[in-house]
Amino acid sequence: MATEKKYGGGGRKQFVRTRVPVVESISSAVILLLIVAISFAIWHKGKVFDPNLYAVRTDALKSTATAVEGKNGTAPSPTVTAPVVADPPKAVAEKSTGGEEPTPEGGAEGAAAPKPPVKNLPLEISLAGTKPMGDTEFYTADNLYEKIDGRAPAYQSFNVVGLRCRSFAVTAATGSFVDVYEYRFDTPVNAFGMFALERDPKGKPLEIVADGYAADMGYFYRQGAVYVQIIASDTKPETLAKAKSIADIRAKDLPVDDKGLAGRKKLPADGMIADSVAYVPENAQGQSSLKDVFQAKYKFTGAVIPFFVMVASADETAKAWQAFQNFCGKFGTAENLPDVNGAKIFRAQVFGKWKVVYQRAGELGGAFDADDADQARAFIEKYLRGELK
Amino acid sequence: MSASNPNESPVNRREFLVRLGITGALIAGSGLAARKLWQPKHFVPGFEKEKGLQLKSYAPELSKVMPSLAIAHGTEHEKTIRAAMTALGGMERFIKNGDVVMIKPNVAFDRPPALAATTHPDALRAVAKLCFEAGASKVIVADNPINSPTGCFFKSGLTAVAAEMNLDLMYPETNSFAPLSLDGEVLKEWTFFNTPFKKANKVIGLAPCKDHNLCHASMTTKNWYGLLGGRRNQFHQHIHSIVSDFALMMKPTLVILDGMNVLMSNGPTGGRLSDVKPMNTIVAGTDMISVDAYGYSHLLERDIAELTYLHKAQERGLGNINWKDTLHKEVTV
Repeated sequence: MATEKKYGGGGRKQFVRTRVPVVESISSAVILLLIVAISFAIWHKGKVFDPNLYAVRTDALKSTATAVEGKNGTAPSPTVTAPVVADPPKAVAEKSTGGEEPTPEGGAEGAAAPKPPVKNLPLEISLAGTKPMGDTEFYTADNLYEKIDGRAPAYQSFNVVGLRCRSFAVTAATGSFVDVYEYRFDTPVNAFGMFALERDPKGKPLEIVADGYAADMGYFYRQGAVYVQIIASDTKPETLAKAKSIADIRAKDLPVDDKGLAGRKKLPADGMIADSVAYVPENAQGQSSLKDVFQAKYKFTGAVIPFFVMVASADETAKAWQAFQNFCGKFGTAENLPDVNGAKIFRAQVFGKWKVVYQRAGELGGAFDADDADQARAFIEKYLRGELK
Repeated sequence: MSASNPNESPVNRREFLVRLGITGALIAGSGLAARKLWQPKHFVPGFEKEKGLQLKSYAPELSKVMPSLAIAHGTEHEKTIRAAMTALGGMERFIKNGDVVMIKPNVAFDRPPALAATTHPDALRAVAKLCFEAGASKVIVADNPINSPTGCFFKSGLTAVAAEMNLDLMYPETNSFAPLSLDGEVLKEWTFFNTPFKKANKVIGLAPCKDHNLCHASMTTKNWYGLLGGRRNQFHQHIHSIVSDFALMMKPTLVILDGMNVLMSNGPTGGRLSDVKPMNTIVAGTDMISVDAYGYSHLLERDIAELTYLHKAQERGLGNINWKDTLHKEVTV
């Protein structure tokens, strides 16, 4: 009776749990651990939450921009415009590519180079009289704005892959320092495009690289697919001397790679209108055979002459020249002119504008959209005779 | 069927209370831990019902006799800024005895002063000096560069000025931000660098005049962008709208546009001295839209018609783009 009273009345014995089975204990422990793990995971995920994670990434749409013959729905491929340069391009000395930077491999001249891996190697510069001010900073195209904020889109438009930068104090000049920025792009052509966009029109040619200049407070150049900026904090001679030394060191370490830039080197500097250089990857002049074309405008005997040049195999340039002449003959008038320095030339009037187009081994180019046929011809003949530097 | 053994004693009251206590402590501890781990940056626009803070106006009372815009031409920062302030009626018109002044420079990048991408140290020195002369008890300098704040302040030369002038340099910390609510065109709810505003009762914007890759120009209105936290670059898609929203967000005591050396191209970072042009001008005023209108047309030498954010602000009644219609004074040192 006493027991029944203790556990409840009604003649029913109340369930009393006095032992927890081992299996149940283990299960409970596992569940508790899972709850803790899930809680931590939620907390951690929230901590690193990125509102842009599911944002529309327009970059992903770029793959649709490749022109496909006969498909109307395909977006036109972009024209990479690279306003540039009035200085003569210099011959590039072959250099060992044994530096720390990998050279993109594969692909013919002008073909898109494979995207090089972004190496997070510290930027080490061994130079007496300088001392690193902090660690090397690394940025990708996606977080480049963290370093250069509103300037980042300009670099992204040229397919920047990453930025590596570091500052170095100049021990001989209190408070002075040199900033080193190395922007890596997907191709040398795009590195050149960004370099050219920011070019200092008063910059003095830099002998250590193919595309570079010295400004009042720094050195700027393209080497391979890297656009290098060496910026001094001031104009003290000690600071500028260290900046120059660093520029030299980095130019030696970065491998030479001018893939896709052969045409650029053919553009003469004489009379070139600054900021007029453009790179057209394909369908230049509306011709499918004209690819990787560089063009610029020139002041010539009181007129402005647009000029283009393409570097390819002899066979390709010959076919492209013939196709271009056929096109001009179909939609206008075209006539052959006497050869100059071994180059074949035709002149054409299409849609009211004049073209004078030449072709010689591995090179095709010409004046286009000219108002005056004689001036266009004179320009081309002068160029072919090597009188435009 | 249960394997209960009637000879074993059940849970007694003491044990029950102990277990209850442990359970309660665990629940309370979890709640406290969750509160501790909660961070304001989880304040995601569009997903938060709670209203954030709204900034009060720091603007002075409108005057019908004193100029609201002053333009001073000179070759030295201090003399030219002093001349501009004198033309406005003196710094005493804006700063009173005991005021705590927050100066918001533009220190967005770790660039040296000569490149004109950041507020010049001489400009900060001059403005801080004028504030102290007017009776300010403390001057706070604060900005939220996306890049390393210490590096940006150091390389721009402002750290040295802060040390020299005994200014309170306030770097953004994790807990420096609070949700801001605004009925802006695009700025609705966002994290805001709030700590300086808890201490200051006067706010002065001190901005360089420079070209900007996305919005054409960065001047006194765009300068407030540096108070936003989070991944604020997502506003770049609506850059003119967000910049015009700053005229709604911030009603400063005064803005000063440093046009002594203007970054004319390759902004906002610059990098070459050839990008910089000496214009030897300081513009100060109470209407940031008027100040920027002058800066864009006369310092950057561009057509004001193209600067969309100023027009947006004007249309919303947040300022007067027609600076010539305001009460203004132009002086030469």
